[in-house]
Amino acid sequence: MSDDPQTPPSRGEIESHLERLLHEQSLMGRRRFLGRSAGAIAMTGGLGAFLAACGIKGTAEQNVAQLSKIAASVNHPKVPIGNWTFSNWPLYIDKSVLKEFDAEYGGHVKYVEEINDNNEFFGKVRPQLTSGKPIGRDIVVLTDPMAARWVRSAFVTPIDKRNVPNGKNLVDSLLHPPYDPERLFTLPWQSGALGLGYDIKATGRELKSIKEFFNPEWKGKVTMFLDAQDSASTVLIGEGKDPAKSSLDDHLAAVEKIGKAAKQGQFRRFTGNDYSTDLTKGNIVLALAYSGDMVQLQSDNPNLRFAYPEEGAILWTDNMMMPAKVQHPYAAETMMNFVYEPEVAAKIAAYVNYIPPVKGVQELLEKSDPELASNPLIFPTPEISKRFFAYAQLSSVQRQDLDRAMAAVTGG
Amino acid sequence: MFRDRRKLIPWYFALPGLLWLLVFFLLPLVNQVGVSVMSGDPEAGYDLTWSFSNYSDAIDQYWPQIERSLVYAFAATVIDLAIAFPLAYFIAFKAGRWKGFLLLMVVLPFFMSQVLRTVSWQLILTDNGWVVSQLKGIGIVGDEGRVLATSWAVIGGIAYNYLPFMVLPLYASLDRLDRRLIEAATDLYASRPTAFRKVTIPLATPGIFAGSLLCFIPATGDFVNAALLGSSKQYMIGNVIQTNFLTVLDYPTAAALSFFLIGLILVGISIYSALLGTKNLTEVAG
Repeated sequence: MSDDPQTPPSRGEIESHLERLLHEQSLMGRRRFLGRSAGAIAMTGGLGAFLAACGIKGTAEQNVAQLSKIAASVNHPKVPIGNWTFSNWPLYIDKSVLKEFDAEYGGHVKYVEEINDNNEFFGKVRPQLTSGKPIGRDIVVLTDPMAARWVRSAFVTPIDKRNVPNGKNLVDSLLHPPYDPERLFTLPWQSGALGLGYDIKATGRELKSIKEFFNPEWKGKVTMFLDAQDSASTVLIGEGKDPAKSSLDDHLAAVEKIGKAAKQGQFRRFTGNDYSTDLTKGNIVLALAYSGDMVQLQSDNPNLRFAYPEEGAILWTDNMMMPAKVQHPYAAETMMNFVYEPEVAAKIAAYVNYIPPVKGVQELLEKSDPELASNPLIFPTPEISKRFFAYAQLSSVQRQDLDRAMAAVTGG
Repeated sequence: MFRDRRKLIPWYFALPGLLWLLVFFLLPLVNQVGVSVMSGDPEAGYDLTWSFSNYSDAIDQYWPQIERSLVYAFAATVIDLAIAFPLAYFIAFKAGRWKGFLLLMVVLPFFMSQVLRTVSWQLILTDNGWVVSQLKGIGIVGDEGRVLATSWAVIGGIAYNYLPFMVLPLYASLDRLDRRLIEAATDLYASRPTAFRKVTIPLATPGIFAGSLLCFIPATGDFVNAALLGSSKQYMIGNVIQTNFLTVLDYPTAAALSFFLIGLILVGISIYSALLGTKNLTEVAG
């Protein structure tokens, strides 16, 4: 079976026929077309009205000042905790933490591991959010760019900080993200870096540079992320640029670079979390990977390594947020407070191996598990932290341009 | 008056079905037709502007994936036919009391979710796995070759996933075939192969027709196999539609592609049924 884009003769015919058809439609002109269809509309009982009413709502972006005003007056009274819902990514908590929470505060948390991809999750709940309906989840955990989108579009409920006194334990470096400078709507869950995940037995040497993703030596044995901003930002860092200060055009150029290499067969696949299967099974030797995953995957394949690229790495943060029209805000805030107790945070960090956003965790782990406490993937050294970069802030429309470009590149 | 009312009775019986079609088939369809001619962006929303250019733009941009989907689906259907015909023939004519058991074997994979079945193939066909090394041993796969992330893997996955859809209708039409017709043919000096060609195959045509449609139509829109067994070079139109709906949030393009696909398949089916002469077919199948 060839992937040769050679076209059979029928293609031209179909296209020209279709083009003619469409041309006729547009020649008719909108007004005439509408006029002619008016009769039809009356006959079919307002079909057109039905269609027009089906318009898809946008996400009018609010300004942060306006949102902050709403946040100032937020008040979530203490109520008994009943059944409530927490949506998170797979394998992202030590589940005994949930049992402890239920035992201590009553009620029952329905913990759903349903978020596999920021975009897909957003795509799923977007219709409810834009029409102002509750989405049936009380906490969702989303990565910076998506969290920023939710804040800008007012898809979030402000956090009543009186219910989250442990919020003071948030590490200094995460206090003032550009999209939520006072952390009125979001609270970090875990952070991690994007870097090189590789099989040292297959490569025969240590890999350190983002250039390795384009090294012909690994042709056909590399994966990158489907997520446009993850992959593009990493490429930009590789070129010595700061993604947060790069324009949309810079990002588009990075996607084009990825596309060029993809055309030459450099990349085996573009993946979400599922690069792990290809890496542990030896289908690939190098993946753009999440730092914490690699610690967990090493138990499957001890030859796997994670390297912070020498050019620098995207440091991303997944954030807990309450969606707009949240139904159980007090339960959600109580949970946020609970996981910001250093003991609980240490337990989660020991299980998920990502970078905890809570002060005092390293000190606690030094006593209970010194090896973990000295793991640079969980507690990056100051030299590594110096080379961390943040994502660019893109509007929904810019993001769509970037996603569309990436879809064209990854769509073969 | 009385007669008119009696005429209405069949319609009353059809009413639940018609309502079902209206609510769960027609309304979403009409809604998506509307979406397919909208324009806008995720920030401002999408409004009905009758932008028929959505269609030509989408087809222009994604023609390679459309073409690929048709080729893959066709190849998988042919493979399924080649596997399913002898199998269905055996079950119908020779299996005796094993019939029920063998049919169960054919449907059994359906008891497991399609995604899981396909993921397990992903694990079986890994580059360093046993299967691929055996294939390399007998020279089917080159030393530097692989099975996953190739067109073959995707076509194979599709053929595997839709095989029962081919076997069951074929079995149904072969099983009720009147064997005396074959006997009559041989009595009239037809050799076994000739009887097979002139009697069995024509009488099995309704099964071939139904089976190939049941395979081809869902296979064209399939995206699971390309996503799990292929690479981006094997992406089909289903993957494109999914990405446009969920990631790019370009609902009009996704809807336009869906309707173009529906149209394409409808045209294809009418040609196919004209070639096979379904009118006669349905009479034969009676």
